[in-house]
Amino acid sequence: MNSSLFWIVPVASVCALVFAAYFYRQMKAAPEGTERMITIAGHVRAGAMAYLKQQYKIVGMFFAGLTLVFAWLAYGLGLQNAWVPFAFLTGGLFSGLAGFFGMKTATYASARVAHAASHSLDAGLRLAFRSGAVMGLVVVGLALLDISVWFLVLTHFVADDDPTHKLLVITTTMLTFGMGASLQALFARVGGGIFTKAADVGADLVGKVEAGIPEDDPRNPATIADNVGDNVGDVAGMGADLYESYVGSILATAALGAAAFAATGDSDAAYKSVIAPMLVAAVGTVLSIVGIFSVRVKKGASQRDLLNALSRGVNISSVLIFVASFLILRFLGLPNYTGIWGAIAVGLVTGIIIGKATEYYTSQEFKPTQSIGEHAKTGPATVIISGLGVGMISTVIPVVAIVVGTTAAYGLAAGSWSFAPESIPMGLYGIGIAAVGMLSTLGLTLATDAYGPIADNAGGNAEMAGLGPEVRRRTDALDSLGNTTAATGKGFAIGSAALTALALLASYVEELKIAMLRNDHDSLVLRSGETIATAHATITQFMDYFQVNLMNPKVILGVFIGSMMAFLFCGLTINAVGRAAGRMVEEVRRQFKEKPGIIGGTEDPDYARCVAISTAGAQHEMIRPSVIAVLVPIAVGLIYGVPGTFGLLGGGLSTGFVLAVFMANSGGAWDNAKKYIEEGHHGGKGSAAHKAAVIGDTVGDPFKDTAGPSLNILIKLMTMVSIVTAGVNVAYTLF
Amino acid sequence: MKPYLYLSLLPEALVASHLDPQKFGSYLATGSRKRARGQAIFFRLSDDYATKRLSELAVDPDLDRGDTMNPRHSAYLSIYRVLETTPLEAMEALYLVTDAGRVLEMQPAEYFAETGPRFHLYQEFAPVTPRVVSTEDPLSFGHSITAEDQRVSLPTLVFAELELARLADDPEAEDIENLPYPNLPHLRDCLRELRTKTGKPTKTVIRFLQQDVLFRTLHRGFYVAKRGGGFRFFPFPDRKALETEHYPWWRSALSTFGA
Repeated sequence: MNSSLFWIVPVASVCALVFAAYFYRQMKAAPEGTERMITIAGHVRAGAMAYLKQQYKIVGMFFAGLTLVFAWLAYGLGLQNAWVPFAFLTGGLFSGLAGFFGMKTATYASARVAHAASHSLDAGLRLAFRSGAVMGLVVVGLALLDISVWFLVLTHFVADDDPTHKLLVITTTMLTFGMGASLQALFARVGGGIFTKAADVGADLVGKVEAGIPEDDPRNPATIADNVGDNVGDVAGMGADLYESYVGSILATAALGAAAFAATGDSDAAYKSVIAPMLVAAVGTVLSIVGIFSVRVKKGASQRDLLNALSRGVNISSVLIFVASFLILRFLGLPNYTGIWGAIAVGLVTGIIIGKATEYYTSQEFKPTQSIGEHAKTGPATVIISGLGVGMISTVIPVVAIVVGTTAAYGLAAGSWSFAPESIPMGLYGIGIAAVGMLSTLGLTLATDAYGPIADNAGGNAEMAGLGPEVRRRTDALDSLGNTTAATGKGFAIGSAALTALALLASYVEELKIAMLRNDHDSLVLRSGETIATAHATITQFMDYFQVNLMNPKVILGVFIGSMMAFLFCGLTINAVGRAAGRMVEEVRRQFKEKPGIIGGTEDPDYARCVAISTAGAQHEMIRPSVIAVLVPIAVGLIYGVPGTFGLLGGGLSTGFVLAVFMANSGGAWDNAKKYIEEGHHGGKGSAAHKAAVIGDTVGDPFKDTAGPSLNILIKLMTMVSIVTAGVNVAYTLF
Repeated sequence: MKPYLYLSLLPEALVASHLDPQKFGSYLATGSRKRARGQAIFFRLSDDYATKRLSELAVDPDLDRGDTMNPRHSAYLSIYRVLETTPLEAMEALYLVTDAGRVLEMQPAEYFAETGPRFHLYQEFAPVTPRVVSTEDPLSFGHSITAEDQRVSLPTLVFAELELARLADDPEAEDIENLPYPNLPHLRDCLRELRTKTGKPTKTVIRFLQQDVLFRTLHRGFYVAKRGGGFRFFPFPDRKALETEHYPWWRSALSTFGA
């Protein structure tokens, strides 16, 4: 059970980290601009680091508590694999590290990008994009490193005579480190989402509305917190989210691969199927670096040229991974490798379709968003109504893409369209590897996502430092491009989360199998009375044993709870934004009252205090939704057992995915409908239509930046919790 | 301390203040505690006129209460028929204040006629505030509205020309998406009426100002017309100057809502 091919994975990981370091040094070597620019960037950097420090403190406490629980379950009750507490910790640690490096880079880059933009647009783009690439490469590099190290460690330490069973144990054990990444992502996404919107709304409400100070005015005490928020939400939050999807998809596919060949006893094929997703991801990482280098624009580039340059990078790496994955699979010689390759292609295409659909429904270049702008002429109520309508309709294409993509990936990998029980294991493997295909060029796609907040902050820095109109025009162009990539990135993150969660859901069964074997449930008695060995039971037989079917009320009850969870989570996070923003408003008012010189520019505002308020608000507010997201799957498992858990995960996944698409797209559409009017339609800036559109945008802000992205985490985290606590599920059930 | 004398247009009032125009504008728009908000437009009157007027009014505005520079020390001196009693030459500069308190100074300049559009849109600011469309250029419009032989006329009028885009030549023109005015069909009807009814040079579009005027819609600048042929022109900076020399004001003006 060894192959020199596996070493491509750690090598690709090191490659990614080396290039991340190279881009980081390149960015640091660039001049930061004027004294004023340096000071402003310093405030944002200090705020971002203060936020991360506080977040890591709270996350650290959570991790310490949960590690103790997992240790007790593993060593005290024997309900869990002994490696789980450690795997859980490393997953969280690596995800946290990725967020830390990404934030550090982004906050160092903003002033430098603004300064580069004072020379030319292409200089600004290149620096912003390569700074974003640091985040992308650090995420994939650390993820692959974590996977490689654990795979090597477990291969060495897990003792099992049956090599296919050993692989199953290794992969299902590794899957549990996704729980650490998942929890870290929850805090980064939910906390980041609350922070960013609390700061944004606070800066707007008191600064802009009450004190008459624009958003990016250094006299506004909340303006630095607002800039910090862009990094917290869209760099660290998005990075942690996609880190989790990336790791989750690779590990779930590996576990499904091991399971698919466990029954046949073909250890060679099992091994190849386990390392295949790792190799696709590793080669994709190298090709992402190629893609990053291909993003260039000539001097005097237009906005369209910028977008084309980014698209060229993504397209080149997608085509290359398409070809490379065929070669990998052919070289591995997996059974039905062309079908598996087809599944990877399906994943890539599904990601592109979801991204394009997101762009169609949220960009002001297209009819749906323009129609919201049109409705602004009749006031805010019609803006809200039409935005809700567009958001709801926008769920169709992503859902159909996932449905068709999943069907195609299943059928192609299974080599059969019959959906017969014997084709299920390979079909599920196809779904998993489709998710890996979608995320294979994450190093590049995440670079385009992280580019957005860097360009946004560069614009803020240029504005606050009072740079000339030409520079501001250039940073505006970079920012505008960032808005497009951010919207597409959100769609991609949701799509990949859904596909990953689906793969995780399938691998939950394998965790149940391992947990039962650990608890000496060596055989299963099916409803037909037939007794079979647990080790050789198929997924269909497990479903039969646990009575996971829609006629079982426990499944339906779970579905209800899962669906409710998506709405509850949204409600809690949206309300949290309101409360945290309220605290920010009070703080800004206090500063204006106690330091009257702020308005006249004779006294400096206390930026750090605003960052601290927003941080404390975000940390405080994220605890409740986080605890609920962790406890509910455990509680449902304890009450309704495995059928209830399946229902919960199915309900949570389906409702959460659709709701996340709806929230992200309606929020994005409202935002861009406002921009469409600002570009000179329906009366333009300052008109009644603009005022109505601003209200729509304010409503949409927590939709697209807090609740929507948080749902990505919820759907994956609930599955992860169920996977990690599968042993408890098997051992204790009320009904 | 020698006070400044200001002639505010929204509402019309004569105000003495020890605050310089920038601070006074900010105070006028946002109040001393930044709780109030509202667009402001005012003239700074000459020192000579200020001295003379304060003495005529026999008012001691008590502007020297300590050296705290408390903006509350500004004093309203008169709120009725101020404009008509103020000579044109005393109006040294015009200030436009955004609702966020940013102040733009406009100096008077020689008026020159522009060969150009068929129709004009004028916003009157004092003493009355209708918005009208007219076939007359600013000078003719100012003269006709202050002419004594008119059935209805004003002794003095401050007004500005607003952007009409392509409607300035054709009431049926499309592609006027960036015009922020409410009820554009009504505006078109008014322009059509001017086109079809001969001998009717002016038509009221809105009877009085109900919202802030968006400064971005200003076309050329402000005018003061006085009975007897007096006329003063305060040109509005061009877009390039706004984006380079007056960017904080321009940015603030663009983030205001109005009509």
